[in-house]
Amino acid sequence: MQKKMGASILSILFMGVGQIYNRQFIKGLLLIGLHTAALYGILFHLMDYLKGLITLGTEPSRMAKVGKLTQLVAGDHSIFMMIDGLIALCALLVFLIIYVFNVRDAYLVGLLRDQGHTPNHFIHSLQTVNRKYFAYFILFVPAISVLFLSILPIIFSILLAFTNYADPILPPANLVDWVGFDNFVKMINLDVWSKTFGGVLSWTLIWAIIATLTTYVGGVFTAVLIQQPVIRFKKLWRTLLIVPFAIPSMISLLVMRNMFNNQFGPINNYLKNLGLEGLPWLTDPFWAKVTVIICNMWLGIPVTMILAIGVLTTIPRDLYEAAEVDGAGSLQKFRLITLPMVLFATAPVLIMQFAGNINSFNVIFLLTNGDPVNVNYQYAGHTDLLVTWLFKLALNQSQYSFASVIGIVIFVLVASFSIWSYRRTKSYKEEDMLS
Amino acid sequence: MQKKLKEKLWGTALLFLVLAMMVTACSNSGNNPPVNQGGGNGQPNNVESNSNANSDVDEEIKPEEGAKLVVWEAREQMPYMKQLAEAFEAEYGIPVTLEEVAGGDQGSRLATDGPSKLAGDVLTMPHDQIGLAVKAGLLLPNDLYEEETRNSMVDAAVKASSYDGVLYGYPKSVETYALFYNKDLVTDPPTTWEEIIAFANTYNDPKQNKYAIMWEFVGYYSYPFIGSFGGYVFGNENSDITDIGLNNDGTVEGFKFLQSLKPILPMNAGDVTYDVKAQLFQEGKLAFNIDGPWSIAAFKDQVNIGVVPLPKTPDGNPSTSFSGVKSYYVNSYSDYPIAARLFANFASNKENQLKNYEMTGAIPANIEAGEDPAIKNDPIISGFFEQFQYSIPMPSVSEINAVWEPLRAVFIAAWDDESKDVKQLLDQAVTTIKTDIDSK
Repeated sequence: MQKKMGASILSILFMGVGQIYNRQFIKGLLLIGLHTAALYGILFHLMDYLKGLITLGTEPSRMAKVGKLTQLVAGDHSIFMMIDGLIALCALLVFLIIYVFNVRDAYLVGLLRDQGHTPNHFIHSLQTVNRKYFAYFILFVPAISVLFLSILPIIFSILLAFTNYADPILPPANLVDWVGFDNFVKMINLDVWSKTFGGVLSWTLIWAIIATLTTYVGGVFTAVLIQQPVIRFKKLWRTLLIVPFAIPSMISLLVMRNMFNNQFGPINNYLKNLGLEGLPWLTDPFWAKVTVIICNMWLGIPVTMILAIGVLTTIPRDLYEAAEVDGAGSLQKFRLITLPMVLFATAPVLIMQFAGNINSFNVIFLLTNGDPVNVNYQYAGHTDLLVTWLFKLALNQSQYSFASVIGIVIFVLVASFSIWSYRRTKSYKEEDMLS
Repeated sequence: MQKKLKEKLWGTALLFLVLAMMVTACSNSGNNPPVNQGGGNGQPNNVESNSNANSDVDEEIKPEEGAKLVVWEAREQMPYMKQLAEAFEAEYGIPVTLEEVAGGDQGSRLATDGPSKLAGDVLTMPHDQIGLAVKAGLLLPNDLYEEETRNSMVDAAVKASSYDGVLYGYPKSVETYALFYNKDLVTDPPTTWEEIIAFANTYNDPKQNKYAIMWEFVGYYSYPFIGSFGGYVFGNENSDITDIGLNNDGTVEGFKFLQSLKPILPMNAGDVTYDVKAQLFQEGKLAFNIDGPWSIAAFKDQVNIGVVPLPKTPDGNPSTSFSGVKSYYVNSYSDYPIAARLFANFASNKENQLKNYEMTGAIPANIEAGEDPAIKNDPIISGFFEQFQYSIPMPSVSEINAVWEPLRAVFIAAWDDESKDVKQLLDQAVTTIKTDIDSK
């Protein structure tokens, strides 16, 4: 009783003291060393880092003339300070986690001693780690890298949305400031932004829905067609239809860009040879949208087709035989047997494809680059999706804070839709087959 | 259970050691009071040299002891730069390391790598990228060799390499677009638009994809229809952003003239892409192509090319094109700022610009180099050089970023539908540009 309490209190006072009290000297010393190092960091540097994160600097860099030479007098770099502050916060978090574990460890070893056991020696502890908890031990390294190399950058890019980091406020000669929700308010209220934001957002959603539906329906349709008993050379058809998927999309899209040129593209040339007018595939706002959808079908149908063929082969033949005995036509068989089965198995994929299509950067960027231009938009064209608009804002216009706002919007869109719809799919609700 | 905890503790403990080291190690970078970033050894970075400026001039210009330079250069210029670096080291004993960074990326890379001390000491940028870099304080002014630069370089190049009246760059080469023509189709290159129209009336054959002339409908290539008629982007030589000249009478006239050319190029603006234009020209179907020196290599072996200045306007004025000036710039975070200035100045001198022309075909910005017989007698380069005399540097103020897209939209809208009222279109574009600039 006393031992577990004593060890815990001592460990709360200073990491490792409780362990020494528990006669685990090496571990105790290691922890004391750790705590000392951490204390040094906290006392001498943590405040500076956190202050930097809050103020984002007080003194920008400037040029100073020294005689004939101009020199840079380096000041605070807001963006670096923000990153440093985040790293410090993460390190503090890790320290606190260790701290909690240290107290629990002291308490549990004290409990053992209260029950009359002798605590482990250092060597024993190491052996236990090696024998039983090797995986945990190894996983720490990736866990920490995930914290610092992927979670931290994500937090950083989200935080940018709450700053005024955009041309002309560019560090190091200027200080970036926190502006709260200003950028979000501007997105909605400022005419310059809201018109574009509304237009691009609605086209993004329309595009995602149509692109997903067309590829899905097309894929299932071709799969069912190929799997019909009357069709011969099944392998040949399958191979042929997978070819578009096998060619890197980047190449096919750049080829299509030239194929659809109204004036010189082969597609319009064929149409003209047939005596038709030819269409303004890429120069008319409406037809440009049609063109990107058509090209996306070409790229996306094979994937769904492969999936659907896989599902079709698993449907038991006797279901169909029973249906035939009952006098069902082929349409009925499709509607009541094939379609539910395929939908059940591929619903999660459908959602993934929808989420992917919201961010279908390649198709838009390589095929139209957002063109045709829209006079009423801010740095976006008729076929720009949120993600390509974000790209243009960040890379061509240095509007980092607004790009970050759009990034957050995209994330919220994709995440909320995916979670909501995934939880409603049959495959999520019941692990067994159709009821 | 408690064992598990104990073991968990081990991993974290080790880890935290590393972390603690990190925290203490990087504490030296962020929070100390800003020191002069002059660099390490023997740098005169203490402020006391302030007082006796003139007596120390010779003292100051000496490059730093033990200086080592890193220079960023694009791939196509690498062979030339290697030679230059060797020559520099032979002359001054300062070793130069080259790093390959694509030309268009150097500005954006500098923004992140400069303050992190990872960027080259000297880099090359097209002048239209310096606005952002200067605003962010990433470039050192060309102070030491200012007079020399101003006296030896073409005026347009000096203006283009300056921002807010301060000279930053050490001009390297100039470029503008001119009129490529196919000598097999055209014996006597035209000098006016009338002649081009007359030629087109006899030559055009849309069935065969044969056209007289093509240019891209973007602000850069189509600027002659603004600048040659009295229009401009920003007032006061592209520095006064409150004065936008894209809807003045001159620009309106230029756009009306542009619309009158539709019969000789009967297609939508969006169909004239760089790929299409280059391919038709290579196939010998397109007689005239408005393009820049960067395309010489692509055409040289396939077409018998000549280059002349752009056709004159109906009033007989030479056409004003947009020009770009590539200059060397010194990274303000350089550890050896004096040695870097020395290198940039050395690299931009007359001999080296001529060498660059020999090896890569870059058009010199140096006045004397431009008058060199080698340039004068080069039929292709001399055409560009002549057009350069009539050119105006692209604006380098970063507000130009608000202009390109609306401008392109107007060019396309005015071209695709000749019945549209250009004045109204231009007014709308200027309104868009103004609101955008004001919103920043």
